[in-house]
Amino acid sequence: MSSLALKHNIARRTALLVITILFLLPVAWLISTAWKSSDDIFSIPPGLLFNPSLTQFNSVFAYFDVWSLLRSSVIISAGTVVLSLLLGIPAGYALARSTSKAAIGFAYFFLAIRMVPAVAALIPFYLMMRDLGLLGTWWSVVIINTMLNTAFVTWMMFSYFRAMPRDLEEAAMTDGCTQLGSFFKVAIPSARSGIIASVLFCVMFSWNDFLYPMFLTRLDTKPLSVALLTAYGTKDITWGTLGALAHFSTIPIVLMALFLNRYFVQGATAGVH
Amino acid sequence: MTETDIAAHTVGRRSAGSPAAARGDRGFFGRQRYFLFFMAVPAVIYVIIVGVWPLAQGAWYSFFDYNLQKPKRTHFVGLDNYVNAFADSTTRQAIVNTFEFTIVGVAVQLVLGLLIALMLWRDDRFNRTILAFLLIPATITPLVVGLIFKGLLGPDYGFIGYYLAEWGLGPKGGLLADGGTALWVLIVVDCWEWTPLMALILLAGLKSLPTDVLEAARADGATVLQRFFWVILPLMLPSVFLALILRTMDAFRVFDTPFVTTGGGPGDATQTMMLIAVKQGLQFFNVGYASALGNIAILFIAIMAAILIFAVRRADARINGK
Repeated sequence: MSSLALKHNIARRTALLVITILFLLPVAWLISTAWKSSDDIFSIPPGLLFNPSLTQFNSVFAYFDVWSLLRSSVIISAGTVVLSLLLGIPAGYALARSTSKAAIGFAYFFLAIRMVPAVAALIPFYLMMRDLGLLGTWWSVVIINTMLNTAFVTWMMFSYFRAMPRDLEEAAMTDGCTQLGSFFKVAIPSARSGIIASVLFCVMFSWNDFLYPMFLTRLDTKPLSVALLTAYGTKDITWGTLGALAHFSTIPIVLMALFLNRYFVQGATAGVH
Repeated sequence: MTETDIAAHTVGRRSAGSPAAARGDRGFFGRQRYFLFFMAVPAVIYVIIVGVWPLAQGAWYSFFDYNLQKPKRTHFVGLDNYVNAFADSTTRQAIVNTFEFTIVGVAVQLVLGLLIALMLWRDDRFNRTILAFLLIPATITPLVVGLIFKGLLGPDYGFIGYYLAEWGLGPKGGLLADGGTALWVLIVVDCWEWTPLMALILLAGLKSLPTDVLEAARADGATVLQRFFWVILPLMLPSVFLALILRTMDAFRVFDTPFVTTGGGPGDATQTMMLIAVKQGLQFFNVGYASALGNIAILFIAIMAAILIFAVRRADARINGK
């Protein structure tokens, strides 16, 4: 019986390994392309073996102002994270602690906003930014990202705080803490993992998105994602150069998600249970 | 049971067994409603100004012939934009494609995701490591995902495309350049990107199943398949439907991958609703028509969400309601 279970376990693990390798192969191909010389990329038939070369990275730095692109991506993501958390955490807390029936309604209102297709709001928003003179600035992207992410953070923190017992906050208030004090000193520290998950998802969203910045930013304010898009299809830019540029836009996020995997898992399933 | 006890139970399982929670409804939290009100208000106002207001404007514009390049010719046309959308063969094709993409893609992701989730059920170090790596596709910039597959499938240098062409499998110009296969490729790409996330959500559902029921089924001598179809699946129906809701809405709004890989072509084979809406709105500045398309998409999404939420409620009631 136990040897059967062992065999079972080995079979299961092998299957999982194969599945994981299959899922990671396309990523491995992208990475390998970036480290090949141009000859290796266009070799016929395409092969797996190659001599590592920095050619592609050199041409990335020759064609793109990588630091300016990175700066835009960082500023847009950081701005979005800060504003979304400032708005979303208190709102999630209030909705979770409120006993009024309207609170649940508002929580679902935030969830619904998340589900709306981006383009439906994009055109009127574009006109709004034009009238305010904010077109082409980082602010315009941060403002719309913050709207979508606030809705997300509120919903997520709502489900976190709802799952947390109120006893500790009540105890703190009995001990003379104000309601605001108990929010900062008790509720926020206990919801730490929810906050980390919120940060992770906000960064992922704003770093990866290209539809809004594509229409809202200028040459000197565009982030990495938009540069990738415009580079694609340009004659001088090869697959290898694209692959190398893609390193900058994917690796920070992939590493972040791997290191914060526990929070990724919690965030992706928040609100589901 | 007092009324507040019942309220606490129906709002969420959070406070079950905590007498303080029941008291809290009338205590500190009840009295200091204003505090909570002012905590929630900034987010609500922000979302209304930056989200709801543009959406409402979009709804309003959809009844006008409004082109940004000829703003002076703007006039009210009633439902013309909606009628035109359904009369236009490209848009009709896009609606069909979007539904096909969503339904086939999400169904495949559900089956594969469930299989992977079942394999990952046991909580050990191996499974946790596998899960972390499996989730990588979901974190990669969707734009880059499109580029990866475009490159892989290219018939001249692409790692998959070259051999397919060489061995005479698949169409000449590559799978993405053929009207018969392009949409299927996009569905496969979507499955590659999102099956792991589906598995993750379903796994969370599996882990929250009551262990005593599972033990009882095992003790009764039910086979693996019997246990799955008669015990596990019915119990986790709510999380299956919730996973379906999340994925259906995302899939229906698909834009990034077709935008970089096919741009809607060849012909209208991979045209999606969002592609056409963006093209009409931001390239041709046809604001009225684009808004109408956006609203049609919202309507479809709302209908699908309503059906799935209804299904969740029923599944939930069957399991939890006595």
